[in-house]
Amino acid sequence: MNFETIIGIEIHCELKTHTKMFSQGPVSFGESANSCVNEIDLGMPGTLPCLNKHAVELALRACMGTHCDIDPLVKFDRKNYYYSDLPKGFQITQQFHPIGKNGYIEISTETGTKKIRLNRIHMEEDTAKQFHTNFGTLIDFNRAGTPLIEIVSEPDIRSGKEAAAYVEELRNMLYYLGVSDCRMEEGSMRCDVNISLRPEGSEIFGTKTEIKNLNSISNVQKAVDYEVERQTRLLLSGEKVEQETRRFDEATKTTVLMRKKEGNVDYKFFPEPNIFPIQLDEAWIEQIRATQPQLPSQRKEKYMQEYGLSEYDANTLTQTKELSDFYDEVVKHTKEYKLASNWCMVELMAVLNKENISFDDNPCSPVYLAEMIEMVSKGEISSKQAKVVFEEIMKGKDPKKVVEEKGMKQISDPNEILKLVTQVLDANAQAILDFKNGKGRAAGALVGQVMKLSKGQANPKLANQILNEELKKR
Amino acid sequence: MEKFSKEMLRKLANQVMFDLNDQECEELQEEFETYLKQLELLNKIDTEHVEEMVYPFEAPTSFIRNDDEVYAISQEDAMKNVPQASENYVVVPKVVK
Amino acid sequence: MKIQEFTKDVEKNVGRCAALSEKAQKKLNAIVTFIDHSEQIEAVKKMDPSLPLYGVPIAIKDNFNTKGIRTTASSRILDNYVPIYDATVIKKLKDAGAILFAKTSMDELGMGGTNLNAYTGKVNNPYDVSRISGGSSGGSAALVAEGVVPVAMGTDTGDSIRKPAAYCGVVGFKPTYGRISRYGVIPYASSLDHVGFFTTCIEDAARMLEVCAGRDDHDMTSSYEKVEEYEKNLNSDIRGKKIAILENVMNSIEDQRIVDNFNEVILKLEKRGAIVERVSMDETLLQTLLPVYLIIANAEACANHSNLDGVRFGMREDGNDLEEIMINSRTKGFSSAVRKRFVLGSYSLFVENQEKLFRKAQKVRRVIVDEYRKILEKYDCVIASAAPTIAPHPEDSVGEKMSDTYLVAENFMILGNMSGYPSLTLPSGFVEGLPIGINVTAKAFDEQNLLNICKAIEEETGLENHTAGGSYEL
Repeated sequence: MNFETIIGIEIHCELKTHTKMFSQGPVSFGESANSCVNEIDLGMPGTLPCLNKHAVELALRACMGTHCDIDPLVKFDRKNYYYSDLPKGFQITQQFHPIGKNGYIEISTETGTKKIRLNRIHMEEDTAKQFHTNFGTLIDFNRAGTPLIEIVSEPDIRSGKEAAAYVEELRNMLYYLGVSDCRMEEGSMRCDVNISLRPEGSEIFGTKTEIKNLNSISNVQKAVDYEVERQTRLLLSGEKVEQETRRFDEATKTTVLMRKKEGNVDYKFFPEPNIFPIQLDEAWIEQIRATQPQLPSQRKEKYMQEYGLSEYDANTLTQTKELSDFYDEVVKHTKEYKLASNWCMVELMAVLNKENISFDDNPCSPVYLAEMIEMVSKGEISSKQAKVVFEEIMKGKDPKKVVEEKGMKQISDPNEILKLVTQVLDANAQAILDFKNGKGRAAGALVGQVMKLSKGQANPKLANQILNEELKKR
Repeated sequence: MEKFSKEMLRKLANQVMFDLNDQECEELQEEFETYLKQLELLNKIDTEHVEEMVYPFEAPTSFIRNDDEVYAISQEDAMKNVPQASENYVVVPKVVK
Repeated sequence: MKIQEFTKDVEKNVGRCAALSEKAQKKLNAIVTFIDHSEQIEAVKKMDPSLPLYGVPIAIKDNFNTKGIRTTASSRILDNYVPIYDATVIKKLKDAGAILFAKTSMDELGMGGTNLNAYTGKVNNPYDVSRISGGSSGGSAALVAEGVVPVAMGTDTGDSIRKPAAYCGVVGFKPTYGRISRYGVIPYASSLDHVGFFTTCIEDAARMLEVCAGRDDHDMTSSYEKVEEYEKNLNSDIRGKKIAILENVMNSIEDQRIVDNFNEVILKLEKRGAIVERVSMDETLLQTLLPVYLIIANAEACANHSNLDGVRFGMREDGNDLEEIMINSRTKGFSSAVRKRFVLGSYSLFVENQEKLFRKAQKVRRVIVDEYRKILEKYDCVIASAAPTIAPHPEDSVGEKMSDTYLVAENFMILGNMSGYPSLTLPSGFVEGLPIGINVTAKAFDEQNLLNICKAIEEETGLENHTAGGSYEL
């Protein structure tokens, strides 16, 4: 019997804000325990929540990127349960009125583009971080209250490969939109996968298992693949799949039982009385829409259609948001799109990679780089000289000054070059003869001499052209 | 409506993280009776097409806090009321979720 | 004892009150925590003497967070809790020159109407120590009534300021929901909780409102309505004011002496030119006040106090695992009365019960408020006797049980919490030497009008600045 795999994915994603969802406590990572908290984050008696505007903005950006219907009346609810990482004994979330509904994203599969529908995107707050040691559980509340969005897909995913593609597409998008760092390994993006199997052709869903906290895209695929294999094995041998929560074990590449689900937990959701419904200003929403950063696919299209770059170049430039952002900055100041893409992809990346510099610390000014590219395109400096200038730009220097200081100006005046060519030809009668006798190479040597005479400043293209013209005249 | 056994009341109590002793259960059984009687009063009120009233005033607010101002308390203050601590962590017996 | 008496000689005045309080404590048992005033006095001396509360000692109900001063909400579970922050209204009091005088006893977490359910025990009525003070703000009411302090802060979720004010013969004022910030006030039920205060006269109540009111960004439910100069604008000319007597209440009071007292006052108001009419609400609807209140309040309270788990603050009891710690801490930390209410509250939030309990109650709340609003659309205020009896003896008090007697007269003041309308109780006379009071409620944010009408009543009763104390030898 063949089975169809049904997968739905829930993603929790930390929003890139300065402060927490409902308090002015700083959002942090890797700081000393309980040093980035205030009375609200600790759930002290008498504290009240106060919603973070930037978190709402980022949630809206996520909704817009995923084609969700946006509810401009923002409401929150309480999810009640007791646990040591949950300071208030309830989590403030959006159970009844998620900010976004009915969205979708597109993923690439072997058979083409596929739409994965999103059920909802809602805002909520993160819990504290716990460390389980032999002498007890240590709790750090720095993470408590960090803004989150939860993105819930419809069960439209059919394989491990599609699951990985879905997570990757979302990660790229949220990252490009500036919504989140999406660092799965640091937990700023967390992924829970629900999997069930059903006989092909069946309309009824089988019993599902949930794999919690997958921390990389490759693990999403591996975990799903294993789980599909496991459930298939169970079903073929006539056993039942139990409804349970599992985790992925990296060492054995298998999924391991965490706990059985004993019915549904009743979280006793009810509307949060301390937050009145908030009517978002339509103009603000539109302003956010208008300033929505472009997604990789949109950027690629622009690079190819408007800038005439190759698909390869467009792909390379959009591999990271930082490189693409940088390139976009550069081409604000020069129309030499192809040249600019070469400099960004090749020369800049080479230096950054070699020196292990992150884009945050990139010393290269996009304006300077654009100026240098303009000089090259106008023939004011040679490509060879440009490499020297680029080295200086990487030290933060103004390319104009570098060219001036090093006396690098390229000679592009035909009269100047003619003078040099005449001088060289006059001194090389033999070479002229060789050329006339069909030795093509002789011309090359003569160009070399012109360049040498100009101390490398002659425009090589022009020098070549004029030399050939003059040779014919002799 | 259903009867409230002691067992059930204890279970209810445990779900919100405390115990009830026998006497408390008995008192609560009585109070549930009163409670249910009073509920009958509620059912006399026609609430068809009536929306729940969650807040005293319902004009939506438009205020949302800007993300620029950070306020944290000192680590010392954060740990001041903690019953059991170690190296600035709050400590509880080992829990496995 | 009036605020005016405290404008100079801070040290002497506060010292006198402190000496009084020690004697009063033996009589009343109203104080949970005494506060050392010396530092505060030094700080106040450096402040501007024209500040509205310059040097005024104010007693604080023990559910207001006071930085560095133990705050227990009269619950064992918070017996060792020392806040690291001030409630917004506490900051405002300090900024206005007030001295935080003492933390006063209350029904545990505000849950009760007798003050019998306080961890430190019963608070005695200043006029007859065998009787109750009423609650839940009983300690505050008793201290003002005794003449120990001119002002005390309270909170009011059902009638927790206005009922003890009636029993103790002082002014008890709960302004409109959102008029005073709730940030830093340990809640009972968030959608019903109001911050307010006790004074000995309307003038002081007006001044207190001016100090305490105003928008606070830490409380998203606090209002942007302009804070008026209530004291300066106080005007007891009530000619043409339309006053509605809530007939259902007056009809259900059995003690004729209380009814007579009320009618006397009404006659005087009519003589002053007020237009008084009798109105009634649907009796069945009024009978639902208490159950609706209990369902909403208990449900919100159960969730609100889930943070009291012994993990981050408060009294932790031993246990082998987290759950045991929580269960032991909360079992020992809360009185049976509170635990029983939490069970009732939790029960009404279960998915299978929510529709017929919690949501039904919220719907009936709307029906009640709609009808109440219709009355206030036609009148300046609604008026009735604040309580159907004088302060009872503990064994006769009905507040602790969910009695189905007195559903209307004992509980009608809940109307003010459900609607959020400003509501004030002031003394109107004595029966058997014990004070009785009148309750007046006005439209939302119409505090000035309310205070003006109450000022007229006060002038007629002659009970301005009346206290029980004065029999101490200092």
